[in-house]
Amino acid sequence: MDLFRLAWKNLWRSRRRTLITLAAIGLSVMLVQAFHNLAFGTYARMIDSGVRAGSGHIAIYHEGYVESRDETLSFEPQGLVETVRDLPKVEEALPRLYLPGLAQSSRESRGIMLTGVHPEAERRVNPFIKDLPEDEMVRDLEGRDAVIGQRLLDELKIRQGGKFVITVQSRSGELVSELFRVRGVVETGIKDIDRSLVMVGLDRAAAMNGRPGEISELAVILDEPEADRSVHPLLEKLTADRPHLDVLSWEKAMPNLANAIKLDYASQKVIFAIIVLIVTIGVVNTLLMSVMERFHEFGVILALGASPGKLRRMVLAEALLLGLVAMVFGCVLGTLGTWYLAEVGIDLRTFISEDLEFGGVVFEPVLKAGWDVVWMVQIALYVVFLSVLASLYPAVKAGRIVPAEAMRHF
Amino acid sequence: MQLRSLSTIALGLILLSASSAFALDLRELIREIEDQHTGRSSRAVMNMQVETSHWERSLVMNAVSLGRDHFLIRIQEPPKEKGVATLKVEQEVWNYLPKVDRVIKVPPSMMGGSWMGSHITNNDLVKAAKIDQDYDFALLGETDTTWRINCTPKPEAAVVWGRIVYLVEKARRVPLTVDYFDEDGIKVRTITFDEVKEIDGRQVPMLMAVQPLEKPQESTVMHYRELEFGVPVEESFFSLRNLRQR
Amino acid sequence: MTMLTTLALRNLWRNHRRSLLTLTAMVVSSSLLILALGIFSGMLQDMLASATEQYHGHLVVSRDGYQDDRDLFSTLAPESELIDRLSEQEGVNGVSPRLRTFGLLSAGESSRPVELLGVQPAKEQQVTTLQNKLVAGRYLTEDSGNGALLGRGLAERLDAEIGEQLVFLTQAADGSIGNDLITVTGIFATGDTGHDNSLALVNLNWLQRLVILPGQAHEIALHLEDPLTAPQKAEALEKLLPPELEAIDWGRLMPEMNEVIATYDVSRMIIIVILYFATGLGILNTFFMSVMERTREFGILMAMGLRPWRIRILVLLEALLLGVLSLVIGVGLGALLTLYMREVGIDLSGYITPVTYAGGTILPRLTAVFEPANFWLPALLLLILCLLSAFFPANRAARLQPVEAIREE
Repeated sequence: MDLFRLAWKNLWRSRRRTLITLAAIGLSVMLVQAFHNLAFGTYARMIDSGVRAGSGHIAIYHEGYVESRDETLSFEPQGLVETVRDLPKVEEALPRLYLPGLAQSSRESRGIMLTGVHPEAERRVNPFIKDLPEDEMVRDLEGRDAVIGQRLLDELKIRQGGKFVITVQSRSGELVSELFRVRGVVETGIKDIDRSLVMVGLDRAAAMNGRPGEISELAVILDEPEADRSVHPLLEKLTADRPHLDVLSWEKAMPNLANAIKLDYASQKVIFAIIVLIVTIGVVNTLLMSVMERFHEFGVILALGASPGKLRRMVLAEALLLGLVAMVFGCVLGTLGTWYLAEVGIDLRTFISEDLEFGGVVFEPVLKAGWDVVWMVQIALYVVFLSVLASLYPAVKAGRIVPAEAMRHF
Repeated sequence: MQLRSLSTIALGLILLSASSAFALDLRELIREIEDQHTGRSSRAVMNMQVETSHWERSLVMNAVSLGRDHFLIRIQEPPKEKGVATLKVEQEVWNYLPKVDRVIKVPPSMMGGSWMGSHITNNDLVKAAKIDQDYDFALLGETDTTWRINCTPKPEAAVVWGRIVYLVEKARRVPLTVDYFDEDGIKVRTITFDEVKEIDGRQVPMLMAVQPLEKPQESTVMHYRELEFGVPVEESFFSLRNLRQR
Repeated sequence: MTMLTTLALRNLWRNHRRSLLTLTAMVVSSSLLILALGIFSGMLQDMLASATEQYHGHLVVSRDGYQDDRDLFSTLAPESELIDRLSEQEGVNGVSPRLRTFGLLSAGESSRPVELLGVQPAKEQQVTTLQNKLVAGRYLTEDSGNGALLGRGLAERLDAEIGEQLVFLTQAADGSIGNDLITVTGIFATGDTGHDNSLALVNLNWLQRLVILPGQAHEIALHLEDPLTAPQKAEALEKLLPPELEAIDWGRLMPEMNEVIATYDVSRMIIIVILYFATGLGILNTFFMSVMERTREFGILMAMGLRPWRIRILVLLEALLLGVLSLVIGVGLGALLTLYMREVGIDLSGYITPVTYAGGTILPRLTAVFEPANFWLPALLLLILCLLSAFFPANRAARLQPVEAIREE
């Protein structure tokens, strides 16, 4: 205990240096924590949107569907939809059927992707259509309502409420045509989707396919991403008797999104490693200097009978205290910074020219932080660890002091 | 561009059988006009002239058909495209290209595309016009010589038009013009018929012009130079091997 | 002056441990900072390159409205005069005229809709990088005749191999049925399913003849030295071009990719600020403290007659000498590290596959580039910071009465 009291006093003897070092470490900790949390929050939102519009946190497909997107690889859910919906931690189960087809109006024709959905469930969950007013969404499962992309509406030269005909090739090979009316229009900002999305009731699409009841994907939306651990095995069990069905997590079903995040994360790690190195060098430097300046003093202490070990431990204790205080200081700042970024965030529009329109769905213009507490605690521990590590060399040097020479130092 | 009924007129005219009914049953009348009788065969030589805003083209073609599910059309002129042929068997369409000596199957995604560059689409060739089933009919007006018939699509019918109006010559029960409207009442296309001849006991217009109204410089005109019905031909004739013959 | 300089040097040497410590800290910090900046620039360049250089190029010149409707008849004649004028523009280092048709590619029973892009191979390779994405066969040459480069997905769906002949069918510009055989000379894989499943590259001359558009092209794609200047270059070009032509930069051609890159750029700037902060704090700590601790020493010097202003200059000189030396080494080390990253880099393809989004592809690797600004700017800023952090405590000491200064611990 005395050791620490002594160490503490020593720290504050050179008040300015201690304060500046604390500031350096503390601010770096804050920046690293706050920025990581910003990235963390941004990734979480990207995943959330991607998951809700795409394959869900977990999805069930026919074997081989994800690689080939072959519309003939559809399957009969056989009650899976309701069973999965009732599982704990499952927010929603979205059955969908995707059929490539041709849309024709009185003036133009375009290739499209016919998407059969459960309208109510989809509207609750899917970010592409969540802004659609309720009376503009598809009303039922077998009707002729369609929600289409803005670009498609323009290219077909029709209006809201206008009619168009969709032709698909049914499983038996014949061409099936059905009438639809534009009930609602969406603009996702993603060109490909706005040009080819035609969302209709699932039963109508399945009937056109010639296989009523069959779907291409069952997207499962969870209450929280971590629930994947408990729900995934449940889904595997439910489909165990049907080996041609795959249960895929979103990372496998949407590898693009997963990889984009991994790549960003990788470059972030490299940069943070560099920041940590820079700060560590500074700390080593500071500690060494503080030891060097006290050579004379240490020489006296040693001459008076203190053991080199005690001296080393004192240096270590100083570094430890410094690290602890810096950690607390840094974490407090980091928490404040994260709180600010979580509430207010960074609005990218202030940095980028206004000409740039944001998709608004996958890319929100305001970046907000999340709370990756585990990571924050890790950084805190690293700081303390590094401080102690940084003190090893100075401590060794202090222990090697020969009193007679040291006292000659000034 | 939608031209379902044009093809059926084109092909249906080849297939018309002798009509017997005299009373004005609109549905029956339209059915006659668009009639798709199975089991009827025909042979024809036609000249198709297409004008677009960028080019003009004139083709001479031979056609053989059996019912509405089988036909084989081969280009005779111009020399550059001589031998190019189209085969339809039920819902499938193939093209033969003599220059490279290959047969190509037309995939569903290309069904909206134009056939031989005209204002007729592959889709039109494939789909049987069910105008008499997809529409309800009403007599709009009548003069001494003509009937004007309004066709409104049934609420569930898979047709892109808002309505279609037929102007029919009473005497010979042949169409004079057919107007296609979108749902806002704008006329999108008009087909005009002319040169009515009697073939096999039936009155058949030998000239047909398709006019897309929003592109007034464009048109497709089909002119039948020769036409005969009841030609002896079997289903086996409509094969890929025959498609390849030059 | 020389006396002060000598004194400065002696002081540095006298406290060689402290000087060495300070030097090391500066060298490590500055070199790492330079490396980080190089990595960021490298990432951005990589993203930009792979996003734009596989297909679009950095800038395209075409008829008004062509990029929206891709109308076959919206052509321009890429006469050598126009090409030369474009090539001569500042910052333009690649010019490639292209013709585009859509049609059907068929092999046996399979047919697929396809986009055929007619190019001049030598020129095209200066604008796009498909030649680096070949998984089989070879790129086109001027005498490839009817040779074609197919996307991998397209080749797979048609079951086509190198040397095989496929039929291409389209509508020619005179309305006739354009058709011919193509020979598969190469297969590419960009990772972008859109292009891999429906794009084929052919010779411009051959395509012009097939669709009967002799001497015509739909667009001229340009490659710039600095793709980030594309919007400004586009504006500048528009003024030079006849009114029926327009110049469009990649940001407008691929707005979704533009979002991604803009977001990345902003994050990059934020992190760079953080990096400068961290480095700056470290340097501040080092220099500031080392001077502060010599207050007593300065007091003695002043008591012995050294004028206060000389104290200031002395300290500045020390900081300057030490600063310049450490920055020279730091910049050198930073350059070496950057070189390593550029030549070797960190390859992540073991656990990340290329990321495709909205028409572009981002490769899974970390690399760096040499940009002069990444060297002289940090060096300059850090030097100024050294001088400032040394100056303030020196100034403070110089202002004190010698006796007070001596009394400081």
